[in-house]
Amino acid sequence: MSTNPFKIIRPTDQPPEHLRKDVMGSIKLVMLLVRFVQLFMADYAMSIFENVRLAGRRDQPQGDEQGRTKPQPPERT
Amino acid sequence: MLFKKKAKPDNTLSDEEIVARLQQAMEADRFAVLYDRYSTKVFQKCLGMTRNRELAQDLTHDIFVKAFVNLSKFDHRAKFGTWLYSITYNYCLDHLRKDQRYRSEPIEEEVHEGQEEGEDRYEAELFAIRFDLLEDVLSRLDPADRAMLLMKYQEEHSVKEIMEMLGLGESAVKMRMLRARERALQVYHQLMPAEP
Repeated sequence: MSTNPFKIIRPTDQPPEHLRKDVMGSIKLVMLLVRFVQLFMADYAMSIFENVRLAGRRDQPQGDEQGRTKPQPPERT
Repeated sequence: MLFKKKAKPDNTLSDEEIVARLQQAMEADRFAVLYDRYSTKVFQKCLGMTRNRELAQDLTHDIFVKAFVNLSKFDHRAKFGTWLYSITYNYCLDHLRKDQRYRSEPIEEEVHEGQEEGEDRYEAELFAIRFDLLEDVLSRLDPADRAMLLMKYQEEHSVKEIMEMLGLGESAVKMRMLRARERALQVYHQLMPAEP
């Protein structure tokens, strides 16, 4: 079988050094944008869930998941 | 504080371990390890597809950014390299299609009788193409055919890997490969009479 000509024309060039800086710069920019979005989204989500949790707690007795109440320390007279 | 100073990432981790950690927390330094491992291959694939160094640089840049943005979609079923090369080929194809206003012709993808025996049909003829004419032949093919031939004969990816990279079935890959070989030989035979 003859030599594979595709192997002969295969590029052997290396990517330029500045490309690494360009790519990592863009990656850091993407991370920054994502973190800003997360910051604002987290704030809204937090405020919504905080309200739900507080509203739900108002009428519920204090206790664990099985409904057992924790023993309260005796009141001092 | 938005960015904390972190310890240097461990270079001994496998690609998949690095991706798993990146999926938990984004870290540019950890992604840089993947860049260092794959940038040459991705750049050379882009160069093979485009034959243009500046364009290959731009595409390599975009491919790594796209891979970073889509890391959460990597489901660890394939190797990270296969997943990245899939982005590479598809991104290059999309770019070349837009650039050359290429419109793909519908390809019959059902398995024809006798296809199995003819899987390697035209391979010997393809390998007999003069290497100094091969670049010319490839540049005259449509990008999808060029990608097929480069994946198979330059990068020596298996049919299974090509299936994963292009999201195609086995018979579709074999059929497209056969068509790509046929078209390459047609172009070669058109170029040959012009030779002195």
